[in-house]
Amino acid sequence: MLIQIVLISSLVLALYVTWRRATQGVISWREALGWSVLWVIAGVIILLPQTTTTVANFFGVGRGVDFVLYASVVTLFFLVFKIFLTLDRVERRLTDVVRKDALKELPEQKHE
Amino acid sequence: MKVYAVIPAYNEASRIGGTLFGVRPFVDGVIVVDDGSTDETAGVARESGATIIRHAINRGQGAALRTGTDAALRLGADVIVHVDADGQHDPSLIPSIIQPIKEGKTDVVFGSRFLGLLPSDMPWSRRVLLRAARSFNSLVMGIPRRVTDPQSGMRAMTREAALLVDFRQDRMAHCSEILRLVTRSRLRWLEVPIRVRYTSESLAKGQRSADALKIVWQLLIGGR
Repeated sequence: MLIQIVLISSLVLALYVTWRRATQGVISWREALGWSVLWVIAGVIILLPQTTTTVANFFGVGRGVDFVLYASVVTLFFLVFKIFLTLDRVERRLTDVVRKDALKELPEQKHE
Repeated sequence: MKVYAVIPAYNEASRIGGTLFGVRPFVDGVIVVDDGSTDETAGVARESGATIIRHAINRGQGAALRTGTDAALRLGADVIVHVDADGQHDPSLIPSIIQPIKEGKTDVVFGSRFLGLLPSDMPWSRRVLLRAARSFNSLVMGIPRRVTDPQSGMRAMTREAALLVDFRQDRMAHCSEILRLVTRSRLRWLEVPIRVRYTSESLAKGQRSADALKIVWQLLIGGR
């Protein structure tokens, strides 16, 4: 099927880019491994969609496709939340830098 | 006792002059934190004789207040008063806010809009919202219900309190954060009545009612 070909080729590309970045030292080997596992699982799901039904039934969901959908929504929510937290941390550090710069020239006076 | 007023200002060139004129007679020094303004805020404030601290980029009112408070500590302040730049807060009430601290009765004083002095022209929607905010503060944030004004920007604290209260919310959520930190610490605190002027101008530039949701969100995700 065409959709399978398109998806599998993007996964292969993703796998290639992941390991290229790992050899370039952009991401760590552990991260690369984590992403690779994700890509491989996606590949299995695309090539053998019926495997998801087995997993889905185990969790009490009827169809494999539904299970994949539920799981991805949960995962996406989690990722978005993590990004929010990261952004919040970055913003705070930005504020710290701006504050340090703003107070740089203010003389410290002894408090009696 | 050295009393410093800290005034965060973002694009307030048209109003900061008047605010400084009103505030200066009641304090020993004024620190204006120009929060990355693109107008003449810093110039106008400098002409009025205030100490100017400048944020290179806009970081929000909470961040500016914190920077100004740090600056006041560096300059040797004994008492620090937070005042809004837009002239909402009546400067003539500054003495009543710092009086309990000067008398050694308390460490932190919060100005409250709901303690007798009728807020002039507070829109009814704002009133309802502030009531809801008060419930949120007590239920979710653990701020005592005794606190009558959940979002007041006028407050005073001693040097020791300012060193202790480590507020980190950059934007509007700092009001609730400071209330939480103070009421849950061993610091003594009390509220005194203040009066706020709501003009069409200050309402347009100030907080919108929809910002309430943003504040809740910041309080919830903005952990330590």
